[in-house]
Amino acid sequence: MSINSATTSRSKQPSAPIDFDRTWFSELEERTAKNGPWDDFTLFALNYEAEQSQVVSTFDELQCLTQLNNLSPLPHQIETATKVLHEMRGRAILADEVGLGKTIEAGLILKEYLVRGLARKVLILVPASLVLQWVRELNQKFGIAAVAQKKEYTWHYDVVVASMDTAKRDPHKDLLLQNEYDMLIIDEAHKLKNKKTTNYQFITQLRKKYCLLLTATPIQNDLSELYNLITLLKPGQLGGVSDFAANFIVDKRLPKNEDQLQSELSKVMIRNRRSDGNIGFTKRFVKNVPLTLSDEEMALYNGVTAFVKDRYNELNGDMSSMLSLVTLQREVCSSRDAVFLTLINLSKKMPEDSPIHAKIWELVNMIRQIKANTKAEKALELIEEMNDKVIIFTEYRQTQDYLLNFFRSKNMVAVPYRGGMNRGKKDWMMDLFRNRAQVMIATEAGGEGINLQFCHNMINFDLPWNPMRVEQRIGRVHRLGQMNDVKIYNLSTSGTIEEHIINLLHEKINLFELVIGQLDVILERMEKQDSLEKRLYKMMLESKSDEDIRANVESIGKSFQDIAKTVADNEPYIQDAPQEEAQ
Amino acid sequence: MVMSAKQVQQFVLRYLDATNCHLIEKSPGHVIVKLSPQADRELTNRPYYWGFVDRTGTEPETMKFCFIFDKDKMPPLPPDPPPGPGYIAHRLLKEEVTYGSRRLDQFFQAAKAGGSYVNLFELPNAEQKSSNFSTPYEQWLGVNMKIEFACDMKREEIHALGISMVTGDIIEQFCDNMLTRKMSPRLPANVHVLRSALTLTKARNQLESYIEKKIRTYDDEWAVEAKIRFDDEIARIDSYYEGLLKTEDDEIKKSVEEQYANRKQELTWQYEPRIRISVMNCGFFHLRSVAKQ
Repeated sequence: MSINSATTSRSKQPSAPIDFDRTWFSELEERTAKNGPWDDFTLFALNYEAEQSQVVSTFDELQCLTQLNNLSPLPHQIETATKVLHEMRGRAILADEVGLGKTIEAGLILKEYLVRGLARKVLILVPASLVLQWVRELNQKFGIAAVAQKKEYTWHYDVVVASMDTAKRDPHKDLLLQNEYDMLIIDEAHKLKNKKTTNYQFITQLRKKYCLLLTATPIQNDLSELYNLITLLKPGQLGGVSDFAANFIVDKRLPKNEDQLQSELSKVMIRNRRSDGNIGFTKRFVKNVPLTLSDEEMALYNGVTAFVKDRYNELNGDMSSMLSLVTLQREVCSSRDAVFLTLINLSKKMPEDSPIHAKIWELVNMIRQIKANTKAEKALELIEEMNDKVIIFTEYRQTQDYLLNFFRSKNMVAVPYRGGMNRGKKDWMMDLFRNRAQVMIATEAGGEGINLQFCHNMINFDLPWNPMRVEQRIGRVHRLGQMNDVKIYNLSTSGTIEEHIINLLHEKINLFELVIGQLDVILERMEKQDSLEKRLYKMMLESKSDEDIRANVESIGKSFQDIAKTVADNEPYIQDAPQEEAQ
Repeated sequence: MVMSAKQVQQFVLRYLDATNCHLIEKSPGHVIVKLSPQADRELTNRPYYWGFVDRTGTEPETMKFCFIFDKDKMPPLPPDPPPGPGYIAHRLLKEEVTYGSRRLDQFFQAAKAGGSYVNLFELPNAEQKSSNFSTPYEQWLGVNMKIEFACDMKREEIHALGISMVTGDIIEQFCDNMLTRKMSPRLPANVHVLRSALTLTKARNQLESYIEKKIRTYDDEWAVEAKIRFDDEIARIDSYYEGLLKTEDDEIKKSVEEQYANRKQELTWQYEPRIRISVMNCGFFHLRSVAKQ
C-alpha cells in the first residue's frame, strides 16, 4: 500500500478533489500594491528548510519517533500505535493491563496525527486526579503543548485535558458540543460502560474524527458493557443490540461464538498483557526479613496492644476512633517516634480528668526505656551489605525523620521524599537520589514522578494494609525500563500483627512475586461491602487470640484467590486476538 | 528529512544572527544568547509584556537563554542556585533544542512569521559592475507549495515553482536555485527591470494549472482505497441505525436521526480523499538571467 509519487501515465478523473488555498495570494497582492513590507531572505530560506525537514513523504512510516527526545517507546507500544494508525484508522480501545503504558501508546498516536497535520483540535477527558499528570506527560515526553482546562477560555486551546465531570456540565457541555474534535481521548473509559448515564450520552453527542478509549479493565461484569464501549467508537461493529445478544451472548458473563467475537473485537481493541512474553519485565525477588524485637520494644508493643483493645471495647466499635487506635498498633511496629506523636495527640483530645492520661504516660515511659530501633539497625545492615542504591518505604512521617537522623549519625547519605513536597522539591530530591545519595526514604508511592528505574532494591520498613498501595510501591521500581532484577525486602517483626499482614500479602495473595494484572478489579469485587483494609482493622481489634487472626487471614486469602480466578477466567476471549489479526 | 543535531544548531544560529541577537558565549554544543527584540517577541511568548512596552515606550528588557544542542560538546555551566527566594530570577534558562522539541518548533514558527513574502534583487556580478550599460533584470514569482494528499492518512510533497513574469516559463526547484545566489532587498545601481507580460493573477493561474496537471498523472490508488474503506464504514453504520430508526417514538427517532447524521459526517471527515495545495512562502526574485535546466 505504500504509494510514492511514482508517476504512472494513467490519465483519468482524479478520485480526490483538489483544493487550492489562495490566502497567500491576496496577501502578496496587498504587499505588492503597498510595495512592502518585505521579509528577510535568510528567514525566507530558513522557513523553506524548516518545511522541508517536516514534510511527511509517505503515508505509512511513523514520523513521530524521530521527534521524541525524552522517550524511547517499547516495541509493543510502537506496534500498538502502528496498528491503530494503519488498521484501525484511529478509532480504537487501548486495553493494556496496568503498567504497560497505555498513555504512551495514546501519546504516540496523537503525536503522529499532530505531526501529519491530521489533527489539531484535541480533547482529552480523564479523571480529575489525572489531569495534571496527563498534561505533564504530553508536554515532557511528547512535546505536545497540552493545557489543563481551568477557565472557560482554556477550551479554545488546541490540545485540552479536562475531567469528564467538568466537560459534561453546563456551561462547558454546550461549548464542546458545538465544536468538532479531530481527536478525542478518554482515559479510564470503562466508566462509560452504561449507556443510560449522562457521561455516555455526552460522548455519543460529541463530534470527533479519531477516538481512543483507554481502559485496563474493558470488561468487569457484563458483556453488554463492552458492546456499549464499542458502540461509542464504531456503532454497528458488533451488529445491532439484538444481533449482538443473539450472536454472542449466552449469559451476560458468558460469550458464545468466541472466535468470531474475538475477531470482531480485534478490529477495535488491543490488549497487551504482562504474560505476553514480548514485554520486557525483569524478575522480582522477595525476601522477608524476620526480626526479634528487644525486650523493651516488645514490652511497648504489648502495652500498646492492651491499651488499644481496652479502648476499643470502651468505644463499642466506633469507627472514627478506631482508626487512630489501629494506627497506633501499626506504628508500634515501625518506630517509637511514630507511636509517641500519636499518643501525645490522643492525650490532647482527652478531657483533663480522664483516666486515660495515666495509661498514656505509662506507655510514654515505656518508650523512654527503648534505646535502639531493631528494624532501623537491620535496615542499615542490609543497605551496607548491598552497597547499591535502595529506596526505603515507610508509612509514617516520624519514622522517616527518625531514619534520616539515624542514617546521618552513621554517615549514610539519605534523602527524603514526601507527598506534601512541591513539584520542584520532589524533582530536586529525585536528582539528589540519582546522583548523590545511596538511600531514599519515601512516605509516598502514589502519583507519578517517582520513576526509579535506576534503583532496583527496595526495603519495606513497614507495609500498607491496602494491597493496591503495596503494588504502587513496587511499581515505582519494577516497571518497564528497569534493566535489573528487583529485590524487595520486607522487614517483619515476629510476634506482632505485622507478621500476619505480611503472611497475608506475601504468602496468601502472593502480591510481591506475582504480577497481578487486574488487582484493581479483584479488589473492587472483593470489597463490595467493606474495604480489605477495614476488614483487617476489625479483625485485629476483635480477635481474641493469635489463632483467631491466623484463621481470619486464611479465609481472606482464600476469598481473594477465588475472585482472582473468576476474573482471570472471564478474560480469555480477548487474549492474543490482536497478534493473530495483525498478520 | 529529519534535521541532525548539527543542522538544528546551524538553523538556530542562522536565525539568531538574522534577527540580530547578541551571542554571549558559544561552544560546539551550546550558545548563550541575549535575544533581540524581534526574536524575543517571537520566542518568549510574552504578549502582555510586549504590549506594555509598545504602549508605554519603555526600553525593553529582552531575555537571556542558554540553548543546548549537544551536552557532550560543551563546557560545564555554572551550577544553579539552590531553590529558594530569587531562584527563578537568578538562574540561567537552559533549554535543549533538538529535532522535535517545542523550542525548535518555535524557531520554525518564528522563521515562518518573518520569512513569508520577499522581494529581492540579485547582486551585480563583476562583469555587470564594469559594464557601462544598464543590465536588464527579469522578474520571477517564486512560490513554495505544499501538497497534502489526505484521507484518514496523509502524505505531502513540496514543490518550489518559479514562473517568469516576462516569458511565462515555469521551472521546478526554483527556490533551491535562489538559495545559491546572493540577493539584496534593494534594486542595485545600473539595473532596470523588464516589463512584465503577465499579471499576478495570470501567473498564479498558470502555476496552479501546471501543478494540477502534474498531480493528475499520479497514481491515485490511495484515494480509491480510502473510498472503499469509507463505503464499508457507511454500510456498517447504515445497518446499525436502520434498526434503531424503526422505533415508533418520535422523540427517540429524532435523536437517533441526529446521531446518525453526526456519525455519517464524521466518516466523511475521516475518510474522504482530498488534495490540498497551500503556499508556504513566496516572493519576487529579480534576476540577471536564469540558468535554463
